[in-house]
Amino acid sequence: MDIFLLSLSVVCAGGLFALSTYRLFRLMKAGYIALTLAGCLIGLYAVATTLQSDEVVTFSGSWLHLFTLSFSLDALSAFFLIPIFAVCPLAALYNFHYMDKAADSGRVAVNFFFLTLLIVSMALVATADNIISFALSWEIMSLSSFFLVMHDYQKKETRQAGYIYILFTQAGAMFLFAALALAYSYTGSFALSSFATMPASIKVVVFFLALVCFGSKAGVFPLHTWLPHAHPAAPSAISGVMSGVMIKMGIYGIIRLYGVLGATDIIFGQVILVLGMISGVLGVVYALGKQDLKKILAYSSVENIGIILIGAGIGMIGIAVGDMVMASFGFAGSLLHVFNHSLFKPLLFFGAGSVLHGTGTKNVDQLGGLVKRMTTTGKGFLFGSLAISGLPPFNGFVSEFLIYFGAFHGLTQKGATFILIMLAIISLAFIGGLAISCFSRVFGLAFLGEPRSPEAAKAHETDFSMTFPMVVLSAVCLLIGLFPDPFVQMAMLGLKSITSLNLVETSAVAVVTQNLGFAARIFVGVFLFTVVLRKIFYRQKEIGSGGTWGCGFTQPTVRMQYTGTSYGMSIVEFFRPFVQVRTYYSGISKIFPGRTTYESRVDDIAEITLVDRIVTPFVFLLGKFRWIQHGHIQLYISYIIVTIIVLLLFM
Amino acid sequence: MINLTEATLVVILLSVLLSLGSTRLMALVQIMALQGVMVSLTPLLLKHNEAFSSGAIIFYQVMILIKGILIPGLLYLAVKRVAIKREIEPFVGYHASILVGLGLILVSVFITNNLRLSLASGNDIVLITAITTMASGLFLMMARRKAITQVIGYLMLENGIYLIGTALTNHTHTIYVVEFGVLLDVLVGVMIMGIILHNISRAFDDVDTTLLGRLKD
Repeated sequence: MDIFLLSLSVVCAGGLFALSTYRLFRLMKAGYIALTLAGCLIGLYAVATTLQSDEVVTFSGSWLHLFTLSFSLDALSAFFLIPIFAVCPLAALYNFHYMDKAADSGRVAVNFFFLTLLIVSMALVATADNIISFALSWEIMSLSSFFLVMHDYQKKETRQAGYIYILFTQAGAMFLFAALALAYSYTGSFALSSFATMPASIKVVVFFLALVCFGSKAGVFPLHTWLPHAHPAAPSAISGVMSGVMIKMGIYGIIRLYGVLGATDIIFGQVILVLGMISGVLGVVYALGKQDLKKILAYSSVENIGIILIGAGIGMIGIAVGDMVMASFGFAGSLLHVFNHSLFKPLLFFGAGSVLHGTGTKNVDQLGGLVKRMTTTGKGFLFGSLAISGLPPFNGFVSEFLIYFGAFHGLTQKGATFILIMLAIISLAFIGGLAISCFSRVFGLAFLGEPRSPEAAKAHETDFSMTFPMVVLSAVCLLIGLFPDPFVQMAMLGLKSITSLNLVETSAVAVVTQNLGFAARIFVGVFLFTVVLRKIFYRQKEIGSGGTWGCGFTQPTVRMQYTGTSYGMSIVEFFRPFVQVRTYYSGISKIFPGRTTYESRVDDIAEITLVDRIVTPFVFLLGKFRWIQHGHIQLYISYIIVTIIVLLLFM
Repeated sequence: MINLTEATLVVILLSVLLSLGSTRLMALVQIMALQGVMVSLTPLLLKHNEAFSSGAIIFYQVMILIKGILIPGLLYLAVKRVAIKREIEPFVGYHASILVGLGLILVSVFITNNLRLSLASGNDIVLITAITTMASGLFLMMARRKAITQVIGYLMLENGIYLIGTALTNHTHTIYVVEFGVLLDVLVGVMIMGIILHNISRAFDDVDTTLLGRLKD
């Protein structure tokens, strides 16, 4: 634990260093990155020793003389700490050239400081061992990420996004507090480990109250509304950290709570599974309908959270019906997908950030042909797209395969469970297919073809500090795909903290993963062989080149290319009742038609429902009380006096 | 022989009534200075605390300094600098205000009798004065138009709270630490109010708080 605390202090020192030296812009950035990197490497070392030695280390201190803050580092915490300590320093490094306006140096320093706070608070959430420390670090995490989202506070959209985020996160926190308070009232102890002693019916209530909080943090449909607002508004590195790492704290909360409750009712698994299926399918469908690059990635996070929850749901159902193979593989796939998503989602966000940096726009319909101008970014984005679509030989395939494996193992069940698991398999397949079409759309629009706008034509590759994190992340994505065994074993180690789960033998897992890795390596071998063969065959031949997708036209224009809408709409429309598509078409009326316009927008049904059914009636109702606020100070004071008198008389 | 405590309390009560009836801002500030000094003197004059430690002496001196000189001085500067028209502009007229003040004294007596606290002898009169001062402070805040009269009302409220503390506590001077904290709050409040007054008068060419009603959305 000492090493872990040392790493947190070093990370903290980085944030304070940034605040204190903000006048020296380059020194501040370099020092901050060095300290964060050092702190996170120390943290990774602490995590590695914990995972190997499999003993639980604890630390506690008193706070305000009233409460004890206690933290413990067990296998599950250690597993969730890996993405925190691995991805955050890359994001810090990415910031070096991304935040390149020396005039904003004070603001950048504040941003760095809050990133530090976010890293530390996430690490504390993952290690919190009692109610107080969990709630405290959870709040610090929410607030620091709010300030990170608000980095460009001059823009109206950013402020709006920030407010939406803080609303969701604080409303979620209320449910968390309600859950923790309820638990406390039954156990009388702050320790999380005492949760197992609650009566079974209370366990259900506590779990679902907390699920609202964890779900809104993780971005589970229909509580995901803040994601597509906050991610585009935040700086790209921050979006990467939030989407890759922070929302996983919601998943951590769900799995940890499930573990400490020790409940084995099937209802937990069923609800989690259904939520996962809804989030997964609808997330990717909305991603298909959006034009903003970072909004697409935000919805894709909803989708991946869906996949993670499907895995967790299968694991929970496996525990409930006593099928430990199904449970082990479901949970292992879920955890590994948490880790995988924390690799390829920051990779994609870093890519989107580079595109934004290089072209000044993140609307995919304005981009095009970027892979020729931004080679490294383009390749990184391609690797990320392949990985997130769950294609071999990348890491996304491994984790989804584990979930499939668990799910197929569960098909021996009867009745409702059978139908649910069948549905889970179908929706997983569905999500996979839709994800491929979604990311082929994004990559095709942004990086292939011809530039659709002058900004895209003038794009330039970004600097080393921005491309290097992408190279590292792509390499790790490929590495996990090729050699999955140690990583799957790592996820299995993390599962030891769930006491109700009897893990399958490591040898049984190793058979599966080694075959998987072997197949992936053969696949890469065949691929490379084909590439070499192609080189050899084409060596003697003359190769001509023309505009991409010119299709033999003599005068092709860039407007003849596919647009985002034309590519995705046929799929999106299939989901009509769940997705609102609004189209504006001016129509052609005369023989020589004038300027015709066509526009289509895909609206989020959760957001519409929230606005139309809840917010608008509420605002209307509260508007009736507007007269109370009339602006006369004297009367306000009399309100206070009346309140005091009423309280004195009746309380 | 004249009972000094009761004389002080009478002066305080009179100052309260006078402040309710005064038409000029400058006069109001001067009354506040007098009231501040009197209020700070009251605990010294109460019979049953003859022995003072040096800390308590310093404390009372600082109290008189702040209440009698510093805060009225700041208010005086604010009135001067903002160049406020010197009338007070009441919502409730001066005579009616004085009448309300008299009514408040009666209500305070009633409340004090109804509280049935076990007070040291003579302290019940302090409590009556205290409640009257507090209530009048609140009334002043509600019944006057200018921002600066709100500050003065707030000061009066604080004087009342201080007197209640004097009446109820056992006069170990550690208890005054709390009072001192409140006093510091008031001091800072007055300073901030000076700045705000300046801004209000710059924005609206007046310090009439009814103009602030325009700021609501």
